[in-house]
This record gives sequence, C-alpha cells and structure tokens, in this order.
Amino acid sequence: MVSVQELLDRAARAIVNADTEEAVNVAHLTLEAGVDPLLVINEGFSRGMAEAGELFERGELFLPELIISSEGMVSAVRILEAVLPKQEKKVGVAVIGTIEGDIHDIGKGIVATMLRVYGFEVHDLGRDVSVKKFIETVRAVKPDIVGSSALMTTTQTGQKILEQELQKAGLRDSVKTMVGGAVITQRWANKIGADAYGENAMEAVAKAKELLGLTTK
Amino acid sequence: MANILTRMGDGERVQMSVSEVRDALLAGTHDAAQKGKIPELGSDELEQLLEIFLDKNRIVGVAPGEEVVLTHDIGTLRLMGDQANSGVGIPLSRLQGILVHERAFAADTMELGHIDYSFKPVKPIISMEMQEYETAAMMTIVPLFYGAMPNLGTYYRPDGPFGNPSDLLPQGKVREAREAQLEAAGHATRDMVYVSSKLHEVACEGINFDTTAAAGDADFYATLNAVAEIKKTMPEMAIEVGMAGEFILGMHGELFFNGQRLAGMYPHQQVKVVEEAGADIFGPVINTNTSRSMPWNVARAVTFVKHTVAVSSIPIHVNVGMGVGGVPVFETPPIDSTTRASKALVQIAKVDGL
Repeated sequence: MVSVQELLDRAARAIVNADTEEAVNVAHLTLEAGVDPLLVINEGFSRGMAEAGELFERGELFLPELIISSEGMVSAVRILEAVLPKQEKKVGVAVIGTIEGDIHDIGKGIVATMLRVYGFEVHDLGRDVSVKKFIETVRAVKPDIVGSSALMTTTQTGQKILEQELQKAGLRDSVKTMVGGAVITQRWANKIGADAYGENAMEAVAKAKELLGLTTK
Repeated sequence: MANILTRMGDGERVQMSVSEVRDALLAGTHDAAQKGKIPELGSDELEQLLEIFLDKNRIVGVAPGEEVVLTHDIGTLRLMGDQANSGVGIPLSRLQGILVHERAFAADTMELGHIDYSFKPVKPIISMEMQEYETAAMMTIVPLFYGAMPNLGTYYRPDGPFGNPSDLLPQGKVREAREAQLEAAGHATRDMVYVSSKLHEVACEGINFDTTAAAGDADFYATLNAVAEIKKTMPEMAIEVGMAGEFILGMHGELFFNGQRLAGMYPHQQVKVVEEAGADIFGPVINTNTSRSMPWNVARAVTFVKHTVAVSSIPIHVNVGMGVGGVPVFETPPIDSTTRASKALVQIAKVDGL
C-alpha cells in the first residue's frame, strides 16, 4: 500500500518530470487509496508545478516540458476534481479568459481548474477572447470575479481596455477584476485599476477568495 | 559622494559613488556566477574594473602590446544604411564599405553579407554573391568572411513551410512543435552547407555564422551540424560561430550535439560544442540588462567571458556593441561605454578579439 507521503512525492515528481502518464496514475492511485484528493492536489501536484516553475526560471527546464507538466497537472486534477465533495454553496462565480490576440491558454487553464477545485463556478471563455465577449458573459452570468490572462506585452493592453469597457458598461462595480500572465505584474494591475494580480494558480485562488472576503490565510 | 559618470544599460547617463560602483561590480559578477555556475571575479579583478570606471577620460584604451584583433560583421550596412536602419546613410556599395573598413577603420577582418543577412534568402542569389565575394576578396588584404544568420525563424510559417513553434507551443502542440523544429533544422543545415560550398568555389576564406541560436536550441543544432559538415568537406575554410544571446533557449528542449543537451547552455558550455563541431573562432554574447548600470553589466559580461576564454581551445572574439558585452542598448553606443567594456574584456577576460 502506497503511503500518503509517497503519493505526494510521486505526484510532485510526475509534474517536474513532465510525465503526464504518471500524473494520471497517481491521481487514480489517490482515489484507490482513499487519500484526500485536495491534499494531493495541493501538496503533490501544485508543489510539483511550483518546482517546475522554479526550474524553468533557472533555465534547467524548458518551455515544451513546462507545457507538458501543465497538461499533466490539468489531467490529474480533472480526475481528482470529479470526486471532490460537491459544495452545497458555491464559493463564487468567476469568468476567466485569455485576452484578445493572445493564444496562450495553459496557465489560464490551470487557474480555471484550481478555482473549480476550490468551489468556484468557473466560466472559462478560452483564449483570444474579445472584450465584447467578456462583457456579454459578465452580463449573462453575473460573476463575482472577472479574470483575464495575457502572456505578451502586445496583448496586455487588452486588460486595460477590459477595465475601461466594464466601466463604460456600468458593470465594473458589480465585479472584482483579476489579472495574470507571464508579463503581468502587481504594478500593471495597479496601473489599470484591476483589483488583484495573481502570480500563479494558487495565488490566484487565494486572491480570489480574499476579494470575496473568504480569506483562509 | 556620487561623482563617477557612467550609464545605465539603456544608455542613460548617471552618476554613481565609488561604493555604488563597487557594489554594482560585485552584484554583476555574482549574478553571472550564479546563473552560469562559474567562478566570480577575484577582488583584484574587481579593483581593475573599478579603475576602468574611475578613469575620468571619455575614451579609455589598453596599453601598447595588449591590443587584440578587431573584427566587424556586416559593417557595410552601418555605412550604407540610413539612420533608421542603424546606419549613417553614406551611399556606398558593399565593396566600398569593405574597403573603407579595411583601409580607413583598420579592421583586422571584414565580412561580406547580404542585406537580408540570412542563409535562406541568400540561397537563390548565391551566384551573384559569389561574384561579389570574389571581387571583394581580390581587392582586400585582410581575411574576408562571408556572413549570414542561420535564422531558423525564416523556415517557420509565415516565412517558411514548417509550423511555427511559437504558435504551436502555446496551443500545447509540443510534439508538432518539436517535429517542425527538427524538419526546419534539417533544411537550414542543408542551406548553410550549400551556400558555404558555393562560396568555397570562389575561394572564400571564411564563413561567419552570426546571431546563432536566435530561434533557440534547434537553430544552434542546425548550425553545429552545418559547421561539422563544412569542416569535413571544406576544411581549409575558416568558420566563426557568433551567438545571438548568452543562453540557449529550449524551444525544443531535447536536442543534443555529441551527447550534450543544447538547451540551457551558457557561453562556456556553448564554446565546447562549437569547438567539437570544428569552428575556428567563437563569438560569445552576453546580454545587457537595461535596468542595471554599466558597472553591473560589464562585471557580469567579464565574468562570463573570462570563464569562456579559460575553457576554450579556440580564439574568443567577443561581441561588443549595442546591447551586448556590457554596452548599453543604444542605437549608436556611446564611446565611453564601448571603450570601457572593450578594455575590461581585453584586460580581465583576456579575449583574443573584439
């Protein structure tokens, strides 16, 4: 019988090694062993993702591997997410998407997954999402949070336009806005008037909860 | 007291105190040592660097006997190009530009290069380039290279037939991105060998692979394979490999040359595979950080290059110019910065050429 610690270590290692098959195996093993899925997501897969991010920063792991790592994380979390006890009351509603002109989807996908894991109802609009589409969805689903991702300096201005258009549409005061993506900083969030910036998926979840007054720090 | 006039990495003039310069030098060498996992500069070397920055003269230089080879890549463009194209707008032909470099600028080597400066677009016009090279070579005494960039980017869509990794990777299409890079690299190698072989027919003295690895590890892989092939079939032709940046981006991530993973290599590792491929000269690049001061950037560049020189068996002709080698990112690099960076790289890093 595999121990909990072993399971957590294998989960983290699978992500660092960009081994999607192993990540999926660990997710199934978690269910078979009756281990808390949330624990494995947080202490295993998320830890692995953070380690992979550090290795990428240090130039010891490269973009293709980071992408496979992210995919492995999403695949494994999807399996575990399905068995998480359904929360009677959703934590909040989030609309999330990668801003227009930007096709980078992976980081945003992880944020969407982690928000779901933590009880948010998530409307993931995908990538290359027009500001118009964001506004329409905000009108339709009345979210608490609107999150936009941008990976390039050429597209980050879309986040500023989103802020302005939410304002023009009279929707800005009814939502909290969050920004993220490789080129995004807290300074940028302050500059455009976004309510929060999340550097990674876990921080995005924490900030989203904080914005809704649900801080569990 | 802030009384040393120096610059930031974007060229802005700033005043720093002696202790600020000292701190910046220390931080710069530390950064290089940490990133490259190489030794930091010693205290005597940092003192030498400090002296270079303390010098009140606008232009600094080395003592007689310490001079090194001064080479130029596509210098002709800097004369004939207008100011928006990094040039000074003097209407000169490429041949005239080469002669000006040799006879007026005292260049120790010179280079012929096409305005597109990439192997792929040179391929269909190689007959004209052969004529131009032959004419120029007949009129010059200094060694004359033919230079171009491997520029793997020209093989990806929309410029080429293969899928663009920059589009494929964000979509999670890792396998497709890697296949596209391998296919593109194969074509690039063939083009580099073809262009070089045609120039070899007109007794070309050397090929300069400039801005190598600009498109990541596959770009470097294609170049190393081309160099190895050229050295095997045309051994008398000199080869210089100059880099695009200090770090090999892992756009593929799993490409190897002689068993060594190319992604993530720093200059002291790059030079070893360049040597193994058969190149005769290596041109390392150390990128300038615009938000750091020149002392920080120069100390960092010297640290990387010194270790590259130490491990290399072939001459090191370091890139010194806009945005590289400690020089600010500035269209016309200020003379105070280029001479300080050059002096430091010659005296402390012990480079063979600039």
